[in-house]
Amino acid sequence: MSSPEIGAGAAPVVQKEHPIEYRRVYVWELPVRFYHWINAVALVMLCVTGYLIGAPIRAFYAAEAWQQYWFGWIRFLHFVSAFVYVFNFLARLYWGFVGNKYAKWNNFFPLTRRQRDEIVDVIKTDVLQTRMHGTISTGHNALAALIYFFTFLVFCFQTITGFALYSSMSNSWLPRMFVWIVPLMGGEFAVRFWHHLFLWFFVCFTIVHVYLAFYHDYIEGRGTISSIVGGWKFEREKE
Amino acid sequence: MTRVVVDPVTRLEGHLRVEAVVENGVITDAFSSGTMVRGLEKILIGRDPRDAWAITERVCGVCTTVHALASVRAVEDALGIAVPPTAEIIRSIMLLTQYVQDHVVHFYHLHALDWVDIVNALKADPKKAAELAASFSRWDKNTTSYFTEVQDKIKAFAASGLGIFANGYWGHSGYKLPPEVNLIGVAHYLDALQWQKEVVKIHAVFGGKNPHPNYLVGGVPCSINTEEVAAINSERLNLVSNLISQADEFVNEVYIPDLLAVASFYKDWARYGGGLHNYLSYGEFPTKGYGQPDSFKYARGAVLNRDLTRVHPVNPRDAEEIKEYIAHSWYTYEGGDSVGVHPWAGETKIRYTGPKPPFETLEGHEKYSFLKTPRWKDNAMEVGPLARLIVSFAAGRADVREVVTQTLGQLGVPVGALFSTLGRTAARGVDAALAMVWLKEFFGQLMERVKINEVSTFNGERWEPKTWPSDCEGVGLEEAPRGSLAHWIRIHEGRIDNYQLVVPTTWNGSPRDAKQQHSSFEASLIGTPVANLEQPLEIIRTIHSFDPCLACAVH
Amino acid sequence: MGQSIWQTMEKKGYSRREFLQLCTAAAAAAGLGKSGVAQVASAFQTREKPAVVWMHFQECTCCSESFIRASHPIVADALLDVLSLNYTETLMAASGFQAEKSLSDTIRDNKGKYIVLVEGAVPTKDDGVYCMIGGRTAQSILQTVAADAAAIVAWGSCAANGCVQAARPNPTGATPIHKLVNKPVINVPGCPPIADVMMAVVTHLLVLGKLPALDSLGRPKEFYGRRVHDTCYRRPNYDAGLFVESWDDENARKGYCLYKMGCRGPVTYNACSVVRWNEGTSYPIQSGHGCIGCSEDGFWDNGPFYQHLPSFPGFGIESTADTVGTIVGVATLAGVAAHAVVTNVRKHQVIAEVRAEERKES
Ligand code: HEM
Ligand code: HEM
Ligand code: NFV
Ligand code: SF4
Ligand code: SF4
Ligand code: F3S
Ligand SMILES: [Mg+2]
Repeated sequence: MSSPEIGAGAAPVVQKEHPIEYRRVYVWELPVRFYHWINAVALVMLCVTGYLIGAPIRAFYAAEAWQQYWFGWIRFLHFVSAFVYVFNFLARLYWGFVGNKYAKWNNFFPLTRRQRDEIVDVIKTDVLQTRMHGTISTGHNALAALIYFFTFLVFCFQTITGFALYSSMSNSWLPRMFVWIVPLMGGEFAVRFWHHLFLWFFVCFTIVHVYLAFYHDYIEGRGTISSIVGGWKFEREKE
Repeated sequence: MTRVVVDPVTRLEGHLRVEAVVENGVITDAFSSGTMVRGLEKILIGRDPRDAWAITERVCGVCTTVHALASVRAVEDALGIAVPPTAEIIRSIMLLTQYVQDHVVHFYHLHALDWVDIVNALKADPKKAAELAASFSRWDKNTTSYFTEVQDKIKAFAASGLGIFANGYWGHSGYKLPPEVNLIGVAHYLDALQWQKEVVKIHAVFGGKNPHPNYLVGGVPCSINTEEVAAINSERLNLVSNLISQADEFVNEVYIPDLLAVASFYKDWARYGGGLHNYLSYGEFPTKGYGQPDSFKYARGAVLNRDLTRVHPVNPRDAEEIKEYIAHSWYTYEGGDSVGVHPWAGETKIRYTGPKPPFETLEGHEKYSFLKTPRWKDNAMEVGPLARLIVSFAAGRADVREVVTQTLGQLGVPVGALFSTLGRTAARGVDAALAMVWLKEFFGQLMERVKINEVSTFNGERWEPKTWPSDCEGVGLEEAPRGSLAHWIRIHEGRIDNYQLVVPTTWNGSPRDAKQQHSSFEASLIGTPVANLEQPLEIIRTIHSFDPCLACAVH
Repeated sequence: MGQSIWQTMEKKGYSRREFLQLCTAAAAAAGLGKSGVAQVASAFQTREKPAVVWMHFQECTCCSESFIRASHPIVADALLDVLSLNYTETLMAASGFQAEKSLSDTIRDNKGKYIVLVEGAVPTKDDGVYCMIGGRTAQSILQTVAADAAAIVAWGSCAANGCVQAARPNPTGATPIHKLVNKPVINVPGCPPIADVMMAVVTHLLVLGKLPALDSLGRPKEFYGRRVHDTCYRRPNYDAGLFVESWDDENARKGYCLYKMGCRGPVTYNACSVVRWNEGTSYPIQSGHGCIGCSEDGFWDNGPFYQHLPSFPGFGIESTADTVGTIVGVATLAGVAAHAVVTNVRKHQVIAEVRAEERKES
């Protein structure tokens, strides 16, 4: 097992019921945690506003168009969140090269034997529940990391289709770079359809992801949930 | 024996080929062939029935709107939807507008050049033309300076090559009009071109655009609100009213007078082109809702053997009445190619077996057209303005009887003259004149309803597919400008399971049936003399008298 | 033949002033503005009345019908004064071999100079037998006519992107023109295109003698650069969230936005909401029906037209991505809940396991 970074704190007090020694490990650096929560908020915003763009609710509090602008605001929020989300994501990509080893880009590709074995282990733990506990990495477990990789691809897809749609409403350089996507995908109707369809990927991802965060917190018993807030996890001393 | 081939037959909608066998200067047999197919009946399958109007409307842009109407009627019939009276009136206004525009365009732009010699118009005396025109029309544009201007235009045009008029059968001995009448014809050709784009603005008002205005299952999409700028309001209604007045003037002061003037020189054409002896009409223009055909302006029924004393009832749901044959068409049927099939069970399996292009003739080929062959109780039927006048005349519709009798009187020909190329062309004029009367009447009714605020234009009870039965079938009937049109639909689990169109020109222009009975085009050509085989003017005269629409016919 | 438009007009007794008026109208129609008048005037004076042929293939002829609805210039003037339309099956006097002669003469006498306007798609399945004229296939006629053309215009959605006959399952292999000729094609989509847009494209070609600026899909930027939605007069209602909820409801009578009735304006590039139809009389939305996207590639397969999203294959006619998404979302939730239950049931076993391990380790 690779040697974990030793946290600043003292080793946890070993109690009778928990005779194993744990070390504090500083896993998620501040930029990663910032990224995570900005991303989470932006995505929730995007999903909610995006859904409303596709299926607006009845909200008639005025009779004349000039008296209200709620749908315009919904769309505005979608676009603002979109920019936040995209630049936040770019920042995370950058951090994948300069951050600590838990943040490094190579976590997300099962390049090593160990990672591949771990994927099998995690499937046994999470899906089959044939094994309830095991040697799971301190950072992302290999399966989670792989799923994040696919999620990043979907992030890119959604960004591309989103900006392609946005290109018809904007003259600035960034959206303009995506103009060519529209004919490639067979017109704006098709782009919208795919962009809308992938909303549901994010909904499902969030459900599963949040659940698994709690599940692993429980199953591993080393502070997974609090780690994405405070950055620290625990690691067993021996093994 | 010579086989005369005319392909393309131009000045009609679509791709028509006619092959006529001429013996001793007279046509003894004829073959009418539609040479383009799109397979729209196959494309409709699996789609939302509420979209079908838009797809079928694209069957034809010349008779735009008519398929949309037949389609919404078919779907409404299947789902049991009754359309609000105001919507029904607007639909009638749309269709009547189409009658008027279509007939005028047909007369001047598609048919006139068979009777009017453009080149000969250059010899006319504009002053005499003006006097002549004044003798039969009160249109104030008919002045010497106006005819001079037109003549100059044509002169200059002729000098720079004839453009769309090049290579016509000019100078053919069949052209009988004096130069002045030719000049009047040419002048009004240009005026009609300018006017037709006005009258269709009525479609734009209620349907957003023309060609291809919008329809809606359950009503019409336009809402009426005289207190709102963004709805059908008093400004819109004024525009329609104004367009109707203009149309009234054009039809009654230009089209009808010209038609009568031209016809009076071609009375010999009351002897040719009669063709079939059976006439079919589905009836049109509901006055008490689409469910009550007895109260339609035009009667529903069939006349057999030109017997005007009897109208036979027509039932489009009866599997034994209307059938389509493909014995001579480029299709196949599950049950063999000689059987007839009712449209609810209709099949569209295209199979081309004609000669490999390029080819010179279809001679020797059993199958020779992309049109199917519809039959009513196994009779070949003529449809169109003439047919619906005959059926309504026989059914004793007073307004129809009056205007038909009056027109025959003006031309000084007997009722029998109706059964001819000339009669067919005159009938179209009568049809337009009646349409004008009814257009004003329906518009008056619309205004009455707006006055009392009875303006509902949509019945939404069966809009949502979850309110539909899992299986149902319907038929939408209509008298389109070119005749009896019907769409048959079967719906399964909210989607189109089968969709069949039997279209006016399918009736008229189809190849012979399994019993070798000719349809209208072929029957009406047989017996017609052809003076010059290089310039078969007579063939196109009779064919044009039907106002063929091949995109419609094949779809 | 071979006269300039000014010469023709002069002969017919038009004054110089009238001539310039025509030029102004033409310039306006071509979107050139006032500064373009001089350019137009010189073009009309120096260029011969160009030879034009209009081909008809798999079509409904509504493009021809639309064309004759043009109001500036009106079609009668265009036909007589602006261009020499030598072939169009819908209007030409000649039939049969005389008609074919008009076509072949035009090609022979105007090599490299004539303009081809195409209405309709071309069927390519089964050697093209699904559209034949004069015993030849549309496919082979197109090749002949296109070979020496100066410019090719594809009228309407049929010629530009296949339109209704190319909708699934496209039984005849209907194909748009630009896929069949190796020349630049000006695509003027729409079912049909707006009359005055068609006329403007013709004027543009004939007056300037060159292709108008085209976008990546070969459409004149002038008319296809914006979405119907961008200039729709109901747009303020859209931004305000004021929508028609069902046909002919209170909101429909107020002219609210048709987005929820399936309007395709937000995804459709066309000039309807600016130029409007029939001399500015209306456009679909103005008369209460949503845009069906008739100028977009493949729009027939983007149905049902009354839903914002297409129906999802295999889930019934009213299903959309949202139906499917909701099903998958709920299934995910259920899966997660079931997992949690199972985990809880096995909780004691887990605790025991962990303890045993801990004991062993200590
Ligand atoms: C990543 C998460 C995102 C989700 C879940 C999401 C979701 C949605 C949804 C459901 C719609 C409605 C589509 C419809 O039914 O018509 C939509 C519209 C749109 N989205 Fe996104 N979107 C996301 C990201 C983005 C991004 C990164 C952009 C980039 C600018 C973007 C730009 C747009 C635009 C321009 C529209 C069309 C809005 C309009 O026309 O009013 N979206 N989005
Ligand atoms: C929309 C909501 C959310 C999204 C899109 C999201 C997305 C992500 C992503 C992309 C990562 C990988 C971080 C990286 O290395 O860059 C991650 C990690 C993590 N997230 Fe979230 N997250 C969301 C909500 C939450 C919530 C609500 C929690 C906790 C209650 C949470 C807990 C965690 C934890 C513990 C990790 C690290 C777990 C691991 O390494 O497998 N997330 N999340
Ligand atoms: N035949 C036919 Fe039509 C008509 N009128 C259709 O129903 O022309 Ni295009
Ligand atoms: S584009 Fe539409 S309107 Fe034009 S010919 Fe094709 S189907 Fe008809
Ligand atoms: S009616 Fe259609 S085009 Fe107009 S604003 Fe609404 S969605 Fe856009
Ligand atoms: S349906 Fe077509 S006519 Fe215009 S408004 Fe939409 S593009
Ligand atoms: Mg049929």
